[in-house]
Amino acid sequence: MVRKKHEIEAALHAENQEIKAGRLKEENPLDVSPDFEVLCEACRRGDLKLIQEKISAGVNINARDRFDYTPLILASLCGQFEVAQLLLESGAQCERDTFQGERCLYNALTDRLRNLLLSYDYSKATHSVQPLAAHISALLTRNFPQTSDVVLVSVSESIQAHKFVLAARSPYFARKLATSSSLCSLRLSDAVPPQPLKAAVEYLYFEDVQRFQSPSENEEDFLNGLARVERLLEIENLFENTLDSVDRRVARQKREEELERGQNQLEAWFRENVIANKIRVNRGQAPKVRWNRENSVFADVLLQADEEEHVPPQNTSDLNGGDRASAPANSATEIANTKVSQEDIRQFSGSSRKSVLFPAHRAMLIRSEYFLAMFSSAFREAQDSDYLHVIKVACSPEVLEIVLSFLYAEKADFSLEIATDVLFAADLLFIDKLKVKAATVISTLGYGNASTTEATNPRGVTDSDDVINIYDIVRAGWATRVHRLEEFGARYIAQRMERFIDEEEFEELVAESAGRIQHRQETDTVELIDDIRYYLSERFRLRFEDSGLDEMMDETVSSAEQATPAPEEDASDDAAAETQQIYAPEVDGRLLPGAVRTLDGEAAGDEFTQDAINYQILLRKIDDLLDRLKLEA
Amino acid sequence: MLTGRRNIKVRTPRRIHNEDVDFDQSWKTLEASFREIKKKRASTLSYEALYRHAYKLVLKLKGEVLYTRVLAHERQWLSEDVMQRIRETTSGCLTTRNQADVGASTAMAARAAGEKFLKALRDEWADHQLCMNMEADVLMYMDRVYCRDHNQVPVYYAAMSLFRDCILFADLGVLAQNAGPPDVGQMTVLDLLNTVLLDQIQMERDGDMIDKHLLKSCVYMLEALHDPSTRLPQDVVPESSLYDTSFERLFLDSSADFYATEADRVLRDADAGGYCRYAQRRLREEVDRCRASLAENTTSKIISVVEDKVIMGRIQDVIDMPSGVRFMIDNEQLEELGLVYELNARVDENKKPLVVAIQKRIIELGTEINNATVPVSQPTTAGPSEGGGEENEKGKGRAAKERPANVQTMAAIKWVEEILALKDKFDRIHRVSLASDQFMQTALTKSFAEFINSFPRSSEYISLFIDDNMKKGLKGKTEAEVDTMLAKAIVLLRYVSDKDMFERYYKKHLSKRLLMNKSLSSDTEREFIRRMKIELGNNFTGKLEAMFRDMTISEELTTDFKRHVASLGDPDPKRVDLNINVLTNMTWPLDAIESWAALEDENGTTSGRSKHCIFPPEIDKVRRGFEAFYSSKHSGRKLTWLANMGTADLRATFSKVPAGGGATKEKKHELNVSTYGMLILLLFNSVPSGERLAYEDIQARTNIPSDDLIRNLQSLSLVPKTRILIKEPHSKDVKPTDVFRFNEGFQSNFMKVKVVVVAGGSSSTGNTVEGERERRETEKKLKDSRGFAMEAAIVRIMKQRKELSHSQLVGETIGQLKAQFTPDVNMIKKRIESLIEREYLERIEEATPPSYRYLA
Repeated sequence: MVRKKHEIEAALHAENQEIKAGRLKEENPLDVSPDFEVLCEACRRGDLKLIQEKISAGVNINARDRFDYTPLILASLCGQFEVAQLLLESGAQCERDTFQGERCLYNALTDRLRNLLLSYDYSKATHSVQPLAAHISALLTRNFPQTSDVVLVSVSESIQAHKFVLAARSPYFARKLATSSSLCSLRLSDAVPPQPLKAAVEYLYFEDVQRFQSPSENEEDFLNGLARVERLLEIENLFENTLDSVDRRVARQKREEELERGQNQLEAWFRENVIANKIRVNRGQAPKVRWNRENSVFADVLLQADEEEHVPPQNTSDLNGGDRASAPANSATEIANTKVSQEDIRQFSGSSRKSVLFPAHRAMLIRSEYFLAMFSSAFREAQDSDYLHVIKVACSPEVLEIVLSFLYAEKADFSLEIATDVLFAADLLFIDKLKVKAATVISTLGYGNASTTEATNPRGVTDSDDVINIYDIVRAGWATRVHRLEEFGARYIAQRMERFIDEEEFEELVAESAGRIQHRQETDTVELIDDIRYYLSERFRLRFEDSGLDEMMDETVSSAEQATPAPEEDASDDAAAETQQIYAPEVDGRLLPGAVRTLDGEAAGDEFTQDAINYQILLRKIDDLLDRLKLEA
Repeated sequence: MLTGRRNIKVRTPRRIHNEDVDFDQSWKTLEASFREIKKKRASTLSYEALYRHAYKLVLKLKGEVLYTRVLAHERQWLSEDVMQRIRETTSGCLTTRNQADVGASTAMAARAAGEKFLKALRDEWADHQLCMNMEADVLMYMDRVYCRDHNQVPVYYAAMSLFRDCILFADLGVLAQNAGPPDVGQMTVLDLLNTVLLDQIQMERDGDMIDKHLLKSCVYMLEALHDPSTRLPQDVVPESSLYDTSFERLFLDSSADFYATEADRVLRDADAGGYCRYAQRRLREEVDRCRASLAENTTSKIISVVEDKVIMGRIQDVIDMPSGVRFMIDNEQLEELGLVYELNARVDENKKPLVVAIQKRIIELGTEINNATVPVSQPTTAGPSEGGGEENEKGKGRAAKERPANVQTMAAIKWVEEILALKDKFDRIHRVSLASDQFMQTALTKSFAEFINSFPRSSEYISLFIDDNMKKGLKGKTEAEVDTMLAKAIVLLRYVSDKDMFERYYKKHLSKRLLMNKSLSSDTEREFIRRMKIELGNNFTGKLEAMFRDMTISEELTTDFKRHVASLGDPDPKRVDLNINVLTNMTWPLDAIESWAALEDENGTTSGRSKHCIFPPEIDKVRRGFEAFYSSKHSGRKLTWLANMGTADLRATFSKVPAGGGATKEKKHELNVSTYGMLILLLFNSVPSGERLAYEDIQARTNIPSDDLIRNLQSLSLVPKTRILIKEPHSKDVKPTDVFRFNEGFQSNFMKVKVVVVAGGSSSTGNTVEGERERRETEKKLKDSRGFAMEAAIVRIMKQRKELSHSQLVGETIGQLKAQFTPDVNMIKKRIESLIEREYLERIEEATPPSYRYLA
């Protein structure tokens, strides 16, 4: 359904009226801060890294600039697919039937973009806190595995609840529970009416307020009771948010506000109680730590994460894994160094190795399917014990902190440095959203200082520093089945093709990629190579387009082929040097001698020709590589 | 290197690539743990540690080896440890089967052994599921990553299939202690399981209690496992479960055998009702069994087996049994009948056997009623009192007993009422026993229509019945009762195929009711017409409504006329009041009335008939006055006076009424007589008191048709209560030679005396059954009017179609006329001939098939 322009304008006008009257919150507030301007500019150019940084810095991606453009509209208008994807994943709104949403859609440069936007239409997209809220609401009715640790008893009702949720969400409960942490049932005064209490608890558990419509027969009693509960239990906005909202959008905004408020409460509580109470102990002592069931943070499980060592112990014989290393080595050189004297180092590090223990709550951990299976099973971790179980998680403390923060508050901001670790941890624990998040961080920040747009860097990135080891990233992508990282890798390599093409490790990677495919026997092509070729052509395409040089390029190549039957495999120099060496004479034959010498751009007499030749060289090299690996092209 | 990564800021984890995993070591740990799990000692194991082992193996691309090892481990466990335990319980299970006539103790032992076997199997299955769930939890990463990427069945399901292969398909060999039939031979656990399950079900059918939950658990197991032999290469159709391919088939086969034998036995021993109850019980039991012990989707299959063996092929026998449907209908065994219906409905959508049986019975009963009525309706038959007294408590008039016509009328009403009773009975059967089945309804209707139409006088009788009700029956009844009566009448009407005949009778009866003012409530009359309109359409009731209209207009006319007379001034005290009914010639069946009168004339005097009797001057004055008045209102209309239809109120003075002790006194009576009666009596006004008038004299001076005259004289001179004239000589009959004089000593206890004219032929007093002659007349008229209707229809059709083949024309004609009557094809042919003769149509030369053309 496409709405007529005048209809949309009328809707916009009505919306403005509502906003002026204060009934509706503006969804796209005007933002003229320099930060926002930078974000908008980055969206135009497609600078993923900058955008990611700005989003992390907290710039409102749903704001608009002086010309009423939102970042999403700009990305859509400029055909920046990856940017649009990133913005949408980060919570940019594109709702049909709103002025800005429709604008975004009809501005879309390509069909691919348009479909992306449509797939994120509000009806399908969820508010980023929604999964968290849904989980917490479900806790109220979930009875396996058992996670509730307190029973609220009122006149006629008893409700199974969770101390930490109550404490985080209501100051009243926080005080009440702080005084007696061993309490397992909480008797509320008779002044608290049962029906509204139930509604209030559901509200605390993020139940959608629209859903608990009051029982109609005694609506007034119910509302009065609700007001009393709000006062007694100090639950903000309970009453107001429970009232029916006529306008769908007002209701949604109210709910979103409430979700965000709840999220912040949970996060604050998480920081103040879980993180603040983490303990650092010697590793050997970690399993011996005794925590009572009754503790001030209501934890019912301890999670252990071992700190990184400078040594990766190779000990696989230890069955229970108490001493298992989980920390990655820093670099290849270090491994080489330490491999020599493993045993010594083990002994040496035995005393200094530290572990960090986090008090945690099963109720939240079971958001991960791994923990859900664990606590639902009949294994030791699910058994009752006098003291809290200490459960090891195979990652570093800082990664575990991020994982916990994500589970508790749906918030995970982390740097590129540990992104790969987070990726693996999320894969281990089956937390898909965190995996996506880690992949996003890697694929947006991984370019380093280089611009991510091909147009600005047709000649490839040759001089900037790598911030990552791209081989590891691609392999991590494979291991954790995040396709996006493979694409990222292909693009990354394509931009720096000249540098990677001759590296041995690149050859290994291609062989691995081919191996993966052979194993699955789905297709004959090597996925990685296909991707690289695609991005390579993208990179050069912008130079060739409209120049009519396609034919010329072909001619050049054919003549070049005649001259050089086979490129030199063992050329250890970079591609530029090789080109110059081998092809220059032929090129010279067609163009002015000496005008075009190298790829480094010093003496670029005719850039087009130069690029064309370079492109062909790179493609040929890839073919050679495949030949060497005995692979089908 | 030129492009060396000098400043890599971000380290990436290398552990997965560098940390070697000792597969054997990890696997040993996992395997040991799996054994612990199977010994139910999992609570000491750390999930985290086990998971990590599996996780690493998969991450190091060892998923395939791990997967194979796990399954090998399970296979070994199942075929060694578990199978051993199962084998121990297999002995002695088969005894019941093979030695059917062993003592109770052996049977008990076999039963116990069977249950033990089932229990063992169930427990092992439950344990296996439980353990595999735990192992699958541990191997979650393998399932999610290795199995998904490599299209492997998740380990849990793979292990379930292993249970099937290693346990259920395990060969038990020939069971040692079972000497049984040689063909048992090699047996698998599955075979044994099926046998034991069937034994258990057989026990339950024989009335023993069995452990239903145990059965159900085993069935669940079979349902959960797929039969590998049904796996198709294309993987399109989902595999069917072992339950479907193995157990269910056996179950259905053995049930079929069982029921075939049992049904035979029960059919021999029980009566129809008993057999139905038996079938019903077995069906219910099977449904319950499927729910409680077997699978829901077996329900329909086993039901069809039972239906096939117990109902199909036997329902006819059951219906025809001496205690079958006929017996049930006659004895109002509605419940049993309901059972028969249900059973029959299960196997046959049309319920043919039952329909046939019921239809047969209806026609039998209907024919009985018809036959009972025919003798009664013969005028000569004596002894109608018995039937009439019962049915008509309203009393068709005690005095009527001697009058054959009234007896016949009573018989007619009795006929209708019996049919209604029959209809009620079958309606009740239909409602209670036949679940108000639409199809049955049609069949019932058909049967009723059949026997009602086979009775030639049905139309007349139904109309008479309505007439009777309109005149007397409805007196003092509530609206609801009236409503029921109307509904019943309509229902009967629906059955009648010759609607035109009914219309004819109804019109006749209605006209008399209206003219004689016999109708109790004109509202009811109108209501009935409204209903007929709904049922039969506008065409049918148009004329009837017109009759009502005439009545209303006549009333107004009378009032107008009175006002007109009053406005003339000169209030003459002797003036005769006139109530007039002006009837439209076309809508009223006047022709019938008149022609009957004419008919009477033929065997009466030959002096030539004149419709116009002679009115005395005072009456004639009024008559002429009205004619003048009417033609002033509607010029060009011709009024014909029907004196034979009218009545008159006279005030008569009797001067010599005996007043005790020989004294006389003068007494006045109001006499209500027919118009002819009035004419006769007025004659005596003109002669001196005591003077006598001869019959011929009277006839000459009044010009009343002789038949009417005789009858009027009869009622005035022969009926004791209304002997206003004295006839000489005194005899029981009126002859043209008789002489009459006014009876001045007339005595009556009432002020008003109604002189009822002796009924005869087309009696003007009320509606009775037609005599044979009338009947022939009616039929003749009916035939004529049908002829016209046919011609009209043919012309209508041809006008529209121009050319039409013979068979089509006949078909369409029948179609058009069906609503009115069932046309006779020969008659249609004759009509076509006649139309051709009159050049409405012509034959198309040499047309095949023979066709006609319309000539404009």
